[in-house]
Amino acid sequence: MIELQGIKKVFRMGSQSLEALKGVSLKIEKGEFISIMGPSGSGKSTLMNIIGCLDTPTEGEYVLDSDRVAGLSFDQLAAVRNRKIGFVFQNFNLLPYATAWENVELPLLFDGKSARKRKERVAELLKAVGLYDWREHRPSELSGGQQQRIALARALANDPPILLADEPTGNLDSRSGEEIMDILTELWKQGRTIVMVTHNDRISAHSQRIVRLFDGLVLP
Amino acid sequence: MNLTLPRFFWNEFRKRRKKAALITFALFWGTLSILLLLAFGQGMSTQFRVSFSGLGETLIMITGGQASLTFEGLPKGRPIRLYREDIAYLRERIPEALRIVPESYNNWQVSAGGKEVNRGVHGTTAEFALMRTQVPQMGGRFINADDNAQGRKVAFIGWNVAKDLFGTEDPVGKEIVINRVPFTVIGVLMKKLQDSMYQGPDADQIYLPFSSFSMIDSQREIDRIHIQPQGPEQSKLVEERVRVLLGRKYRFDAADRYALGVWNTIEDSKEGLAIFKGIEIFLGIIGGLTLLIGAVGVTNLMYAVVKERTKEIGIKLAIGARRRIIIQQFILETMFIFAKGTFWGFIAAFNIVHLIRLAPVNYESFGIEAYLLRPIFSLRIFVAYVIILGILVFLSGIFPALRASRSNPIESLRYE
Repeated sequence: MIELQGIKKVFRMGSQSLEALKGVSLKIEKGEFISIMGPSGSGKSTLMNIIGCLDTPTEGEYVLDSDRVAGLSFDQLAAVRNRKIGFVFQNFNLLPYATAWENVELPLLFDGKSARKRKERVAELLKAVGLYDWREHRPSELSGGQQQRIALARALANDPPILLADEPTGNLDSRSGEEIMDILTELWKQGRTIVMVTHNDRISAHSQRIVRLFDGLVLP
Repeated sequence: MNLTLPRFFWNEFRKRRKKAALITFALFWGTLSILLLLAFGQGMSTQFRVSFSGLGETLIMITGGQASLTFEGLPKGRPIRLYREDIAYLRERIPEALRIVPESYNNWQVSAGGKEVNRGVHGTTAEFALMRTQVPQMGGRFINADDNAQGRKVAFIGWNVAKDLFGTEDPVGKEIVINRVPFTVIGVLMKKLQDSMYQGPDADQIYLPFSSFSMIDSQREIDRIHIQPQGPEQSKLVEERVRVLLGRKYRFDAADRYALGVWNTIEDSKEGLAIFKGIEIFLGIIGGLTLLIGAVGVTNLMYAVVKERTKEIGIKLAIGARRRIIIQQFILETMFIFAKGTFWGFIAAFNIVHLIRLAPVNYESFGIEAYLLRPIFSLRIFVAYVIILGILVFLSGIFPALRASRSNPIESLRYE
């Protein structure tokens, strides 16, 4: 379902250019749970952003659910991010001015879902992550673990088949980290495809398969 | 359920309104200062018009003079005097003149009820009221044609004369003695602004029918001829006609500028109005530039706001916001701030203008305050201002919004 063929990504800054990915080919099946590992600067975040349609490759072919991503417009990519992919970031990336409820509701709003459907879905998600009682709080009033659970609820809002997690436990204490990993494992068992970037071996142990990147290439 | 996205925007905006306060204040301040600037400019030029019409509208005043050029063998230095026959003489020969009216003048003792003052007394006709803005207060009237025809002993007095002789009492119907001859007061001049005058402000003068004046005054010559042309555009022509006709009659050179005293208030007011029009235009330009500076300021602040919210935009893009949504939010916020700032600026300017207008203006000493304390709030100017600034603010909001919507989600997310 995710198929990358010879992906290259070059960043240009003035006269200098940096090749972050040097021809990555990767196939991720539906329902797989994979970890992308590698040292800093190996290109794992860049790969993750390309898979998540946040960035486009300089060269190579990316097919997502038999759609060629290269041919999609800005708004079409936005729609893909909205419906097919859920993001979980290391630093949560919640909107600081919005309440927990509003943060979770936002992807539904962008998708044009009706008020009734949104209300049902947000309540369901907040109950699932155990934060329904915290719905009126803003991110600054929540602990790191709680914020990440809100971020997870938001990622699941439109019930996307793919979840992308970029160092999801990186900013959390070990207990909160374990809680998040339990939820991710549970979601995988329910049939979601999960792609996770980490450099923590204990965290990557939750996944089925580990892809190692080094210097912009996949290690065999 | 389409309202929900705007409602979300509204919620977000409300939570952030303290940060928007600076922009709101900038718009408030700009609106206030521009509206005040224009209100004062308009007030000044209107006051100028009002005060100039205190003397009279479209008037040419002729007095006698002294020949300064030799003419057909006659020496210079001869005095030129005006006589009552000149009125009929000029009326017959200048069809471009709407009215030609004589005015005689003398300074006499005037007394009433045991009080005595020395005042300027004028003899004239009914039409004088129309030409020199002599409006009676309630219950009184100016001299009319019958007064003149029958030589009635009646007097129209300025409000200062009324105050000096009668205090707070109503003088109408009472008797005053002028040069030992009793007259009945028939009216008191209504208060008016007057910035131009010849024998003192009209408030201090007394007016009698021309015929009655002649009975108590021995001199045959008249002091002044007032001429009102058919239209202001004929004032130059009429002035020249008078010089030629009287020059022919009294044998002086029509080009002699000193043979007659000519006060053409039409030409004067043209000049004065041009100055005030100039001031209005000047204030308008300053206002325009202030507007521009204001718009640049708002643009700057909007850019700063977009920059501050880069990360937030990145988050929204990452979870699937389309370009349109990002633009919509910025435009709505900008226009709301604009409406709020402008509204309060309008309220403040409107109230300040009307408070200032409450300040009393002294009609006797027509000072600077009469020009400054009568600003005029113009709704037309306000509407024009809102349209112009609205466009500028919209533009200053759309560019940062477009920039924000085009940003790369990854770079925006990394922004701290």
